[in-house]
Amino acid sequence: MSDIPYKDKGSILRPIKALSFLARKPVTEKIEPRPAAANYRGFHVNDWDLCIGCSTCQKVCDNAAITMVKIPGLPEDPVKGIRNERPAIDYGRCCWCGLCVDICPTSSLSLTTEYVHTCHEDELDSYFILPDPKGIHHKHFPKGWAKTADADLVDLERQPMEELDAEERLKSFDEMVEGFTDQQAIIEASRCVQCGMCHDSCPTHMHAPEYIRAIWEGNAEEAVRQIYRSNPFSHVCGRICTHRCETACSIGRRGEPVAIRWLKRYAMDSVSDLRIREIAAEGKVDYISGKKVAIIGAGPAGLTAAFDLISKGHEVTVFEALDKPGGMTRYGIPEYRLPYDRLDADVAVITSLGVKIQYNTRIGQDISISELERNYDAVLVAIGLQQGRSTRIPGSDHKQVKKAVELLRKITQGKAFNIPQSAVVIGGGNVAMDIARSLARLQKENYGEVRITLTALEDFDHFLADAEEIKEAREEGIEILDSRGPKQCVTNDKGQLSGLVTLRVNSIFDDDGRFAPSYDDSDEQVHPADMVIEAIGQMTDISLFGDELTERLEWNRGRLKVEQDGRSSEPWLWSAGDMVFGPDVVHAVADGHRVAASIEKHLATPGSW
Amino acid sequence: MSKELNIWLDNLLEDIESVQFKRKSSRRVRVDVASEALPALLELLQGHASYVHLSAISCVDWIADNEFELVYHVWSYETRSLVSAHTRIPRDPGVYLSIYDLYQPAAFFERDIHEMFGVYFEGSPDMGKFILTEWDGPPPMRKDFDSEAFVNQTFSWEQYHPQWLKDIEEQGGGITTRPEDVR
Amino acid sequence: MRPENYQAKSQPPSNEYELNFGPNHPGIEGNYAFKVKLNGDEVLEARADAGYLHRGFEKLMEGRLWIQNIALVPRICVPDPVPMEVCYSLAIEEIGGLEVPERAQWIRVMHLEMSRLAAHLFAFGGHAATTGMYTPMFWGVADRDLVLDRFEELTGGRVYSIYNIPGGVRRDIPDGFLERLSSLLDYLESRLPDYDNLFFTNQVFVKRARDVGKMTQEQALKWGVTGPNLRATGLAFDVRRDDPYLVYDRIEFDIPTEPGGDALSRNLVRRAELKQSIHILRQVIDRLPSIKGPIRCPIPNPLAWNVPAGEAYTRVESSKGELAYYVVSTGGDKPYRVHVRGPSSMHAVQVLENLAVGCRLEDIAQIMFSLDACPPEVDR
Repeated sequence: MSDIPYKDKGSILRPIKALSFLARKPVTEKIEPRPAAANYRGFHVNDWDLCIGCSTCQKVCDNAAITMVKIPGLPEDPVKGIRNERPAIDYGRCCWCGLCVDICPTSSLSLTTEYVHTCHEDELDSYFILPDPKGIHHKHFPKGWAKTADADLVDLERQPMEELDAEERLKSFDEMVEGFTDQQAIIEASRCVQCGMCHDSCPTHMHAPEYIRAIWEGNAEEAVRQIYRSNPFSHVCGRICTHRCETACSIGRRGEPVAIRWLKRYAMDSVSDLRIREIAAEGKVDYISGKKVAIIGAGPAGLTAAFDLISKGHEVTVFEALDKPGGMTRYGIPEYRLPYDRLDADVAVITSLGVKIQYNTRIGQDISISELERNYDAVLVAIGLQQGRSTRIPGSDHKQVKKAVELLRKITQGKAFNIPQSAVVIGGGNVAMDIARSLARLQKENYGEVRITLTALEDFDHFLADAEEIKEAREEGIEILDSRGPKQCVTNDKGQLSGLVTLRVNSIFDDDGRFAPSYDDSDEQVHPADMVIEAIGQMTDISLFGDELTERLEWNRGRLKVEQDGRSSEPWLWSAGDMVFGPDVVHAVADGHRVAASIEKHLATPGSW
Repeated sequence: MSKELNIWLDNLLEDIESVQFKRKSSRRVRVDVASEALPALLELLQGHASYVHLSAISCVDWIADNEFELVYHVWSYETRSLVSAHTRIPRDPGVYLSIYDLYQPAAFFERDIHEMFGVYFEGSPDMGKFILTEWDGPPPMRKDFDSEAFVNQTFSWEQYHPQWLKDIEEQGGGITTRPEDVR
Repeated sequence: MRPENYQAKSQPPSNEYELNFGPNHPGIEGNYAFKVKLNGDEVLEARADAGYLHRGFEKLMEGRLWIQNIALVPRICVPDPVPMEVCYSLAIEEIGGLEVPERAQWIRVMHLEMSRLAAHLFAFGGHAATTGMYTPMFWGVADRDLVLDRFEELTGGRVYSIYNIPGGVRRDIPDGFLERLSSLLDYLESRLPDYDNLFFTNQVFVKRARDVGKMTQEQALKWGVTGPNLRATGLAFDVRRDDPYLVYDRIEFDIPTEPGGDALSRNLVRRAELKQSIHILRQVIDRLPSIKGPIRCPIPNPLAWNVPAGEAYTRVESSKGELAYYVVSTGGDKPYRVHVRGPSSMHAVQVLENLAVGCRLEDIAQIMFSLDACPPEVDR
């Protein structure tokens, strides 16, 4: 090469030129710790306040170096998605690749700029460390390799869900959410890190990691199989569940949680009803126990229990007062959120296993409860909360003051009522949203415009309804007012309802945390309306028990008192669902399972009564 | 020149029966060929199309099909393109012909494949052990050899029990999930 | 071979004897051995004996997620680990159809050329030591350490970068990195005359290395020789130019050749490549600031990443020659097969066995280092 003068033979003395180094200043490296680069991959530190014990680091570790250790005293809250576990690292296996840092959903893990750890042979245990914020030698070295936005291995963004726009939605009660395509579902499912926080937080402990994995593998049938392990109301829950799983999802710590509910819906929608029935029947025993169970109320709790008990070979009869199954999921939830045919599909799976439902049969009127006690081995009451509570404010006894649940039931049943040209809804929960948005559709159809005001006690920071409900209701033209307490309903001189008077809320609870709203009398508003709807809560209609049994049973502040497993003070009587735990579908399903297990245990015990 | 040779080769390969030809990019060609025809194809490529450099021979164990796939990657310094010739042989008995007389580097790859997969190459200069001198188990790269199970049977993991863990165990905590539980 | 398995062989009386050269010997790179048959100090036959570094990487990779393997591949070649990461990533990108952002491609080129500098400094230092010249060895190793400092800054690791990931690179370059790299290049360039004086044009070395381990271009092609060793037989072939990857087709550089085919020529090619790598890096330093954009394309969650079914054979020019990965995916979350074709699987085995015949015992080390053979590439 031209720049290497080796071809001129040179001189043997050429290396002597290196002697010039004798005149140069020597390079001296000091014997003291040398600071590492700002990006150095040293020893692990873990911010225990951020870490939720999701164990994702353990799953990505290519050297099987991470062990999860349970540490008593740390916060543990399945509902929030926090475990009291923390990763411990085996530095005999770790290769310092830093993948655990890059994938950590909470960004609690990072590596320090510390270089050296060594020990004598008898101190090998020092290679197994529990990283905390202080570092391996508690020397507080600065952080080195840490999570950066452009290197994050967690996908923080959801697949977008197509929805009808507000204008289109208002035209009918058609379902507004479109559902995932195959491709979207696989991508959305691939975001899951399989931490299982969703499973822990779910009231019925659905096997969400398993069915998400199955969806990712393109195996919707397996996903349905996993779903039916814990929830026979999955068309319903895939649409309207309160999805506590998504609140607990560890991806949601820094990004949008995995759309677990929509994935469940996708799995259920992509398998045929017939095939779902076959999959659901896989768990059914092939013998008949000879025991008979009566269930009152064909809602989620009752039918879930029916599903479990029929699978164990018992004969199950469900008594339903109305002419269709589903309870509140049918008569309380508007069709734009849950199409009735999907609810029917869930119920059809349960009846296909042999559960008999007797419609239009009101216990206490058509059949007495003591008759059930005589004819069945166990009786389960799961009648939910069918009666709306009243505000009992002055004027609330006017005939144009309605209860939300009763109105919603009428809409489902297709019963005619006078659709108000303007309405005020009292209440800030999802039921209030449901009635407001249902009325909005009816107003749009009949009058071409929406005139609905919703007043809630809570301020927007503490609103009870889901954020998306608020957003969508507003898009549909509903006025939402926060921190307003109802004072009275007012009438005009003809005795017709003319509106609702509200006051500004100072506080909702007193110092002891009891419900005792206080109002600012100076801030009064009148909301003109020809209908006022109360949506402030529901209660159980306990008339079915009859006086004698009501007397015998134990009660707790108006609710039937039951043991942990749902059994009442009468050994043959169980209770489950909303009437015990308050309104929530997935809780009702969980309760159905719990009670069914208790009944099953009872039936399996010979001569137990 | 090189372009013409490429076109010539493309046309030629397309004409040969028992050869499936697919140009993946300007410098990558995939050829699928029956095992009987492969040596002749390589001879053609080397002798008439300037593919003088055997880059590698790769072996893939398609255990579900009961076949080994052998992939001969040959490179032409003239046309600057790489032909990957794929062929499949039955997994049992797993015997094939050496191409050492065409390409001397084949000696290494064939010996390696013999050692790792158990494919015997007739005519290869040395089918003796090379890397796994002390190994008398099955050829380890075969899919039915479970190396992790072998490691777990053969070696024991370091059982740590440091003071911090003892303290946590005293308070009622302790190890919940070991790494091997999630593999 | 374990000592307990050695068996003394009774031989008829002769001047010939066998010698185990390695696996722990300063004249051998890494843990590697030769069984040498000698007559006096003349080598009659040499047989490579590998396996001392076998860790079953290819098998291990079949049991790990696509991303997890990036921590594994650099270990296949300790002195020059970066091409391993890049080559593996390139294969997955080809199978998965990932578009690597331009900025990441330039960063990869920079990373690769830094690695080439480090490896060549190590190689000539090692060669110097085999001829008893220890000062160049110290210089080579000490100056390589300065490259490692920049690795540490860029990638968080001094030797194993684990920096390339399918889709791009894992971190953007730190603030002020290019300036510090630039001054490192200035320093290294200023060192080249020192290296020349003390080593490359040192007549002690030139005379010692000339005609040692000599092969013709024809032999080199026949034996599968690649990289600097092939270029030292006069053939100007370089994967970077002739089978370009990343943005090498947009970078200007020469392909140094030497006609001799001996240990001297091979060292001189490496010496010239030091200069070319500096030249390439300066172009990257010029261009990189103006290339904005992401450093990685979006990739799925590594725990749930199925690379579509397919196969790819990707090649890069490592400091030692042609490095190739053959990767097969059956659409799963782990590779079905990864085959690593290291350049040293030719150089350290067949080529070395051939070149050793007829040389003197003390030249085996020199030939091995002049070939820059890397035993872990053979063993994998």
